[in-house]
Amino acid sequence: MKANEGKWALAILFIIILAYVLPYTIFTNVAKWYGSFLLWIVLALIVFIINYFLTKDWGKEE
Amino acid sequence: MNTSFVWWAIAIYTMVALIIAFLARSGKQTSMNSYFLGDRKLNGFVSALSYSATTYSAFMLVGLAGLTYNGGIGALGFELIYLMGVSLVAFFGPRFWKVGKKFGYVTPSEMLGDRYSNKTVAIIVSLSSCIFLIPYSAVQLSGVGYLLQGVTNNAIPFTTGVIIATVLAILFSYIAGIRSVAWTDSLQALFMIITSTIVVIILINGLGGFNGFFNTLQTEQPEKLSVPGNGFWSFINFLGMTIPWFFFSLSNPQVSQRLYMPASLKSLRSMLIGFMVFGLVYTIVAVIWGFSASIMFPNLDNADLATPLVLQSDLIPPILGVIVMVGIMAAAISTIDSILLTLSSLFARDVYGNFNKKATDRMQLHVGKIVIPIIAILSYLFALMEVNLIAVLSVASSAGLLVVVPAIIGTFFWRRGTAAGVITSVVVSGLFVIIIEFTQTEPLGLSSGLWGILLSTFLFITVSLLTKAPKKVPKEFFS
Repeated sequence: MKANEGKWALAILFIIILAYVLPYTIFTNVAKWYGSFLLWIVLALIVFIINYFLTKDWGKEE
Repeated sequence: MNTSFVWWAIAIYTMVALIIAFLARSGKQTSMNSYFLGDRKLNGFVSALSYSATTYSAFMLVGLAGLTYNGGIGALGFELIYLMGVSLVAFFGPRFWKVGKKFGYVTPSEMLGDRYSNKTVAIIVSLSSCIFLIPYSAVQLSGVGYLLQGVTNNAIPFTTGVIIATVLAILFSYIAGIRSVAWTDSLQALFMIITSTIVVIILINGLGGFNGFFNTLQTEQPEKLSVPGNGFWSFINFLGMTIPWFFFSLSNPQVSQRLYMPASLKSLRSMLIGFMVFGLVYTIVAVIWGFSASIMFPNLDNADLATPLVLQSDLIPPILGVIVMVGIMAAAISTIDSILLTLSSLFARDVYGNFNKKATDRMQLHVGKIVIPIIAILSYLFALMEVNLIAVLSVASSAGLLVVVPAIIGTFFWRRGTAAGVITSVVVSGLFVIIIEFTQTEPLGLSSGLWGILLSTFLFITVSLLTKAPKKVPKEFFS
């Protein structure tokens, strides 16, 4: 695995851990749309952005 | 729902999809590579839509909406954690794609057999996929049966719906192999996402706009907006449901086989990013759908009724209700036809191809084509039997397929992995998962999925360390 790939993987793993921890701690009593609903969507978007950059050079080395 | 509307909608959908399936026929499809992988020439757009249609079955607008109805927002987290897990494609996709192209792999199990230098690996992994995926298809088929029966008040009997779904799935996969599947999938994915998004916009508007919608939820059912909420999404339950799905993109051959098909790495990238966008929109749509049902019909005994009731409610124009119902049916069929095609390629390549050493590529293709309707009929019979076995195996399917994940990770990231490690981990953990599901026990309070992944990882590592690793592994696997 390339070093870069490892860093991206850790970043994604970190976001996913947040997706497990935050809703069950900080947001567990926030019964609003800007509670877990918004949180999960934002975290998913961050993961997409990471994927976008992670795969940016695909096809350029072919 | 008006039965003649439903019949008309099904007829129009069938005609359009069949025309697309026939148009998709191009070139000679006389090889396994061509029939099952589209000559590895799928463009990014079709790859993304087809991947979406194959992944998202009738589960989303029925099952996920039902989970939201029952337990609230945890359903969103559950599905989005799966979607984040699709990032695995960013790491495994190019590796699958490159070795697939280099060595001509048609199935993921063929790749495993080669990597671990053992044909039994390929046979066992492909057979275990069949054991778990046929009941999964059967549940999709019966889903169509129940849906049509439900929305027409029994005017279209259960069996008729199941037969329609079976016949269409066979046709879509038979006409031009993966080409007809990919193009009809694309049509169905667009149809699903557009119609269901329109419905959700209508629902939100009809229920007081965005603010009104969430205000109602906040005041009347605040427990639906946080986890663990009413207790349905306890942390251990959340973990037990999310872990098996997290690895779905690797564990399920009907989607991992897709990693061989894009024409270039650029197309593979479009597939990944396109799917993620599609998945996010569709997930939000399904969850809001479930919330709408909670607001409109707060006291249902059976959450599976939520979607049919929403479709028949006063807020949704009847024509749109019928169109979306056909969309849900299309979602199920687009999942089944891909599974049919994948399972027949697994059988032809890894079981028949390994037992009959003299089998040429052409003979394998011939066997694959014969197997497609056989698998479809098996699923059909399963769907009609309505015995506990099907429910058990289909619930077990995500957990059962999970046991191959350590072997797949080892394929590219662990040189010490051995064939004995793969065989032991897949067979023992697979049987263990089935036993847990049959006896409905949760040893130590852990679900079958968690047991599946923990046990298979442990066995794969331990047995591999105790046995001798294959001497020659092509360097492409580790580059």
